[in-house]
Amino acid sequence: MNALKDTWYISLRDIRTRLRMPVFLFMSMAQPILFLLLFPEIFKSVGSAMFAGGTSYLQFFTPAVLVMTGLFSAVFSGMGTIMDIDTGILSRMSATPVTRVSIILGRVIATVVVLLVQAAIILIIGVIMGVDIATGAGGALLALLLIALLGLGISAFSNGVALLVKRQETLMATTNLLTLPLMFLSTMMMPEELLPGWLQTVTNFNPVDYTIVGVRSLFLEGYNWSDLWPSFAVLGGIAVVMVIFATMMVRRRVE
Amino acid sequence: MTGEKSVIVTRKLTKVYKGNTKAVDGIDFEVKAGEIFAFLGPNGAGKTTTIKMLNTLLPITSGKAMVAGFDVARHPAEVRKRIGYSAQDVGVDEHATGRENLTLYGHFYRLDNATIKRRVKNILEIVGLTEYGNKMVSTYSGGMRKRLDLAMGLIHRPQILFLDEPTTGLDPQTRAHIWEYIQKLVQKLGMTIFLTTHYMEEADKLAGRIAIIDLGKIITMGTSDELKRSIGGDVVSISPAGDDPEACKELVKRAEEVLTGKPFVIGTKPADGDLAVYVKDGGSAAPGIMQVLDAQGIAVRTMSISRPSLDDVFLKYTGRTIRAQEGTRTTFAQMHRMSNRRRVR
Repeated sequence: MNALKDTWYISLRDIRTRLRMPVFLFMSMAQPILFLLLFPEIFKSVGSAMFAGGTSYLQFFTPAVLVMTGLFSAVFSGMGTIMDIDTGILSRMSATPVTRVSIILGRVIATVVVLLVQAAIILIIGVIMGVDIATGAGGALLALLLIALLGLGISAFSNGVALLVKRQETLMATTNLLTLPLMFLSTMMMPEELLPGWLQTVTNFNPVDYTIVGVRSLFLEGYNWSDLWPSFAVLGGIAVVMVIFATMMVRRRVE
Repeated sequence: MTGEKSVIVTRKLTKVYKGNTKAVDGIDFEVKAGEIFAFLGPNGAGKTTTIKMLNTLLPITSGKAMVAGFDVARHPAEVRKRIGYSAQDVGVDEHATGRENLTLYGHFYRLDNATIKRRVKNILEIVGLTEYGNKMVSTYSGGMRKRLDLAMGLIHRPQILFLDEPTTGLDPQTRAHIWEYIQKLVQKLGMTIFLTTHYMEEADKLAGRIAIIDLGKIITMGTSDELKRSIGGDVVSISPAGDDPEACKELVKRAEEVLTGKPFVIGTKPADGDLAVYVKDGGSAAPGIMQVLDAQGIAVRTMSISRPSLDDVFLKYTGRTIRAQEGTRTTFAQMHRMSNRRRVR
């Protein structure tokens, strides 16, 4: 019970803080919006050659942009923890009876709430541009759930690393090093069949790709459970492992 | 809760950091309920390390600490419920109001909403922030932040309040203000306070008992008066007139030699080109000292007589002054602290 309450209050604080710095909320959305506006234009002709049955590149690419939005937002979650280390808030919090797992869960859940709102905004922009979702509103919600799971894992990882390295610059470097390969070693821009063989293998170990595959399947095909189950299982598993990792880092933290 | 009950007890409390730096070296002390107890010592002496072992933030290397009746290592959760903590760096959330900061900590201490509301109002009054409760902390001055910081450690009416360097970095006027608030807290809430400081005036003004700590060890302990009395009288400080620091040192050495053993001299201690001479009565001893030095041809630039201060006590036991060390001496413990030092805005 205490853990739930602590998590609730810590998330509220985090969301409140983010709302008071709206610049950052828009900053992490700038790149996905740019991608969404540009890429379908750039690849317009490729798209019509690539897909049979009239799937546009916009249609193909929008799920990936949604996932990217979640990824970009989640990866910076640890910055909040670094700020709390720098200001002494984390130390002070640690000297109270607050449940340790809540320090992580609270921030991670706040991150996910924010990234869901961001993804929803991107989705609305996509729909306005003409994206159509095979599974309708229900499928869109399920897609957001997948993105939320990815966000949970990535933001918990980001916070764990933050507690480990304790420095903004190091966290930025680490996460940048990770984000780009996660994005480009996936089916974000090309369908799997068109990727070289080694890359097809790599995508099987990329959680971001599991998310893209799941969301894309909901958008383009319908409820295709043979695509969806692996995505949910892999992303759920990673989320649990990362939350445990980050909580261990909180417990271990010595100044 | 007052009387003879000890709320903090340590036995051979020791902290060794990675690289074998002994930050705290087997210290023993007890703090009684209702007491204000101060650790006085220079930076890097082990004060913060001690506080962080007592408030569960740092694991103990060896030895034992009981806080509020619980073993810190075995029952940290029980200890946390009963203590308040205010660190040297003000741990307040800039992007929240004073009230929001306090309310969050009320929840961490499992208070119900009605109690939190009541306590927040009350505590804002005590620290004089009632009008600013709904203002963002980013608009607060340094002194206001520190007051909010103190209040945040008090929302649950802890048995023991830990204050790590409560006024470091504040201007003298604000410092005096914070002292007033701390005294008010003790009067109104009647708790035990364990504080660390490198300001002698602070220890003198606030603490009932003082432990002087240096290089991880407690050098001496007692009330301010007891400590000063241990010097045995007055302090006559002499600065010899040398051409350069080396010459001064040489003169101090010679002065010490000739004064030692004279009937009116209890003891001597050189420090930074000065010589402290401990005497029973400063007024009657000064002419004698002048005479002796004159006879040896040691010219004196200035001479002053004072009642002993805690700095003299520190000097007597360590041969250094607390003041002189600020910013000049760097110990390994201090380097360790600095390397891990949080970068504050």
